[in-house]
Amino acid sequence: MSKLIVRTIDLSKVYRRGKVNVPALNNVNLQVSSGEIVGIMGPSGSGKTTLLNIIGGLDKPTQGKIFVDGVDITSLNEKDLADYRLKKVGFIFQFYNLIPILTALENVEIPLALMGAPKDERRERALSLLRVVGLENRADHKPDELSGGEQQRVAIARALANNPSIVLADEPTGDLDSKSAMAFMKIVRDLNRRNNQTFIIVTHDPLVVEQCTKIYTIRDGRVESA
Amino acid sequence: MFSWSLAVRNLKRRRLRTALTASGIVVGISMMFILLSLVSGMETQARSMVRALGGADITVSNSTSFRDRMGGGGFFGALPSPSTLDASIAETISGIPGVYAVSPQFSFSGSINSRRVTVYGIEPPLFEVVTGGLNIVEGRFLSENSYGEIVMGKALMEILNLTLGQTVSLSASQEEEERIFAVVGVFETGMIFQEYVGYISLADAQNITGEYGLVTQILVKCEDPSMVSDVASLISSTVPGVRVTTPTAAIQQASQMLNTLTMFFATIGLVALFAGSFGVTNTMIMSVTERTREIGVLKAIGAKNHDIMKIFLVESLLIGLIGGGVGVAVGSILAYAFPMLTSGLFAAGASPFGMRNPFSSAVNPELGGRATSPIMFATPAITPLNITICFSLGALVGILAGLYPAWRASRMKPVEALRHV
Repeated sequence: MSKLIVRTIDLSKVYRRGKVNVPALNNVNLQVSSGEIVGIMGPSGSGKTTLLNIIGGLDKPTQGKIFVDGVDITSLNEKDLADYRLKKVGFIFQFYNLIPILTALENVEIPLALMGAPKDERRERALSLLRVVGLENRADHKPDELSGGEQQRVAIARALANNPSIVLADEPTGDLDSKSAMAFMKIVRDLNRRNNQTFIIVTHDPLVVEQCTKIYTIRDGRVESA
Repeated sequence: MFSWSLAVRNLKRRRLRTALTASGIVVGISMMFILLSLVSGMETQARSMVRALGGADITVSNSTSFRDRMGGGGFFGALPSPSTLDASIAETISGIPGVYAVSPQFSFSGSINSRRVTVYGIEPPLFEVVTGGLNIVEGRFLSENSYGEIVMGKALMEILNLTLGQTVSLSASQEEEERIFAVVGVFETGMIFQEYVGYISLADAQNITGEYGLVTQILVKCEDPSMVSDVASLISSTVPGVRVTTPTAAIQQASQMLNTLTMFFATIGLVALFAGSFGVTNTMIMSVTERTREIGVLKAIGAKNHDIMKIFLVESLLIGLIGGGVGVAVGSILAYAFPMLTSGLFAAGASPFGMRNPFSSAVNPELGGRATSPIMFATPAITPLNITICFSLGALVGILAGLYPAWRASRMKPVEALRHV
């Protein structure tokens, strides 16, 4: 059995909407082993994105703990949390979220630049990542010159830039046609097999679900194993 | 990092907004630049005047300024001839306690080889004692009983195409008879406009003009510099009908006006800069709001607060630099245009802001200085220091105006920023 990379303990999140408390997560206990492709499913508003954001260090739980690689990230301060996001996790969003004025190559370079990598090294690594996702010949194109599928592949390359141990994806194929969605999942599987990278993917897409090694369903803030 | 290319491209993407925002800075910076250039120009002049006014502590002249209003004209034109005093007044003054030496002189607007210049008739030994003499670079100064000799400024020699030892024809005015003088010496002052001047003996000057026994100014040197104001008031109370001036007082008056001018321009410039900085802040707040989602993405992929802060600060700094650069350029053009615009006013005896132009009085012959044209007032000096100051000021305003928006951007919560549409 491979080691646990993510473990949540009694994770709860309550949003305050004015005077009303809205529970989003309710005592979630989740375990993800290294090298898995985990799918998280559930109806909208069930707390999937909240869970993903908390694992990714973008949001803090109201209660409970999350251990990533043995470190309780709920105890990290803002700066260490940013460092955690930079080095440990890669993020992929539904709407790609590339910086519109930067080229594909430069978008992939951002995390490397944030790490303080020298320009030449940055360029070289970004190019090799674009090669992995099959876009080295589109390196100098801006996002609006790329198709949705191509943009999402740039986003994968960006998420992988600092070689994170976990890649988090929030409905990554939600805005893609089935051909692009399949191409996306092929890359995910290849990376997973080759680098033993862990993926946690929030999705509705059956194309994604069938490639996952484990599926969790969230309903009303509670996790049900499938 | 990529902050610079990000900032450059964002500013380029919104050219018009960038240009309008930067123009707010341009107004302020060009104001400041003109101000600094003018002040530098005036300082240079004031310094050279202090030098030119040299050793004479006090100047005594007739209380009515000029005999005629001819003269003038032209950039380096001669001044009108001043009113005269009886030469015996010099004797009276030399008897006043505290007076070390007096040097009577007769200055007039004459013509050397048909060019109108100011000519000083002096008594060479007394002149040297009182003023410290001229800076002779070729030949010699006038001899004690000089007759038919002239010492001329280097610039005047050049413009008349003369060399040492040649002769010139000198007359008091075009209609009058010319006399021949030998050029025995050439002096240099470092300021060209002070070199369009000739020195002859007092006797020769009185001869040419026919004003025997008269002088136009009496230069006084005191026994001690600290006694100057006491001696000056003693002279004005003892000798009736004279104007007593102390060059240092004139310089003080000049620098006082310089300060007033500086304050005036500085206030306008600062107000303009202040207004411009609001424009920058406003634009940056807009920019931050528009790019909220982008901020969220950058934070999600690991950007720290200071990374975000830097991105926006660099952008507002760039606006400041553009404003500073264009402001310096516009300011330079205006500073060059300024003397042309105002020379007409000064020539007509007016001066800006309804104040008396102190420099024209500081150097006119009443004070015993070498003549200069009042137009020389306010020739701006564009110095590297001023360029640096204004450029940095633009940058500083850019950064200060961008601090709040950048801080706001850096403090955004990533989850909320990502939710922003």
